[in-house]
Amino acid sequence: MARKWKIVVAALAIAVVVGLISFHSLRERVRRLSQAQSVEEQARREVLAPPITTPTDVTVAAKLFLAAAPDQLAPVTIQLPLSADPVQRSKQILHALIASAPTAEQRTLPADAELLGFYVLPDGTAIADFSDALVSEIPSGILSEQMTVDSIVQTLENNVPALRRLKILIHGQEAETLAGHLDLTGYFELNPPADQASAPPGDNSSQTPPGQPPAVNPPVPPAASPAAKSIPAPQSTTKP
Amino acid sequence: MLVHQAPSAPSPATGAPQSAPSQQPSAAQALPAQSGYTGPVIVLDPAHGGTDPGARGQNGPIEKDVVLQFARVARVELVRQGYRVVMTRDDDSNPSYDDRAAFANSYHDAIFVTLHISSTGTAGTARAYFYQFWSSFPPQSKSAAPDAGETNPPAPANPTPVSSLIPWNEAQRKYADASHRLADQLQIQLAQPFSGSPTLSKAAAIRGLRSVAAPAVAIEISSVTDTNGASFTAMATPLAVSISKGIQAFRPANSAGAK
Repeated sequence: MARKWKIVVAALAIAVVVGLISFHSLRERVRRLSQAQSVEEQARREVLAPPITTPTDVTVAAKLFLAAAPDQLAPVTIQLPLSADPVQRSKQILHALIASAPTAEQRTLPADAELLGFYVLPDGTAIADFSDALVSEIPSGILSEQMTVDSIVQTLENNVPALRRLKILIHGQEAETLAGHLDLTGYFELNPPADQASAPPGDNSSQTPPGQPPAVNPPVPPAASPAAKSIPAPQSTTKP
Repeated sequence: MLVHQAPSAPSPATGAPQSAPSQQPSAAQALPAQSGYTGPVIVLDPAHGGTDPGARGQNGPIEKDVVLQFARVARVELVRQGYRVVMTRDDDSNPSYDDRAAFANSYHDAIFVTLHISSTGTAGTARAYFYQFWSSFPPQSKSAAPDAGETNPPAPANPTPVSSLIPWNEAQRKYADASHRLADQLQIQLAQPFSGSPTLSKAAAIRGLRSVAAPAVAIEISSVTDTNGASFTAMATPLAVSISKGIQAFRPANSAGAK
């Protein structure tokens, strides 16, 4: 082999080795940056909304309903200390839903969304008050808005059995829609009675025959639910 | 707010809903009705518009423009199949939800199809949605199930017939089953050209459907994030054909009366 070819091969080999080292280093930097961002977000969240602890907390396998595909939710089980009190338990589980998505792709609520308040009325009606970020930072569209609401509904349904229906407020106010599509003026069904629960939770496809309500239901309009316009005094007003 | 419930017998589409919102889309957008036409009026609703762009892609596509293009192509296809077609907007205006519903409700025997583009979902898939009310929980409104101990107001001596009036916010309730069937038919057709789409329609509380007093569905195509303008243009004809076939399966063009 001519000398000049040997030099070319050697140069190429050196270039490959340098490239591999650089690539590995670059990947490490990206990973560290990602971790730093996550830690920063977690720290910010802990300042704004410190973890809720109550005397009745018991660590259980909680189910968070997170995105498993662009149009599909799936339960992710995490060990979480949860209170016996439905209000505190709901706050704990919703905080976890916002903060504990393992990856960005699994996230169903915006990272900046905050639960400002959670109330439970004696009849099992739950009222969740979220910050504006839930509206402003959610991707626009029926699919994404439905995923967000289903994620909240199914997570509450599977972890707080005392709840019967859910009203979502945005910054203390009734919102006409979540982000331009999904109707928030009524209530979402939680834990329907056994004789009405014909479909599995969250399965609101038309597998149910016409006329048969799905497990996760659209809100009942205000005309059929006067409480939507005037919310009675909450059972608990403790802020998270 | 109440909406006038259309009579069962076919009649000219001249009635406006009672207490209808003020800014209705122009009736001039309606194509002239064919002589002797007895079929449904297809109301195509390109979502968003004006200052509301809807979903916006990084590479240019804007939902309000894409859905307007979709609606125009669908209108041509539906007219070709013999339907009478109107659109809630045919420009860059943005009628409110109630204005769009009022426009649809002003036509007797309408079928309402609102078109959307999502920000998420697998690119090139399509979904049909219908609005479904929960009927047994929470308890019925006071007029249907008064609270215990509450005294009912005395019945008026000369009661006004209310059978033709339904609450504006519940206009869709009577049509929930029909909307469900229509969404199923549309989803079957959409699943063919839009591979990877679900085979079943879905229930969703879509605000734009709630006050429509007619079979009403929303179709959403995914997604503005992963699809460029040329790809959306290529989707327009398959979407139009799917809508036409779905409506044809639900309600042939020259069939009279509500299905």
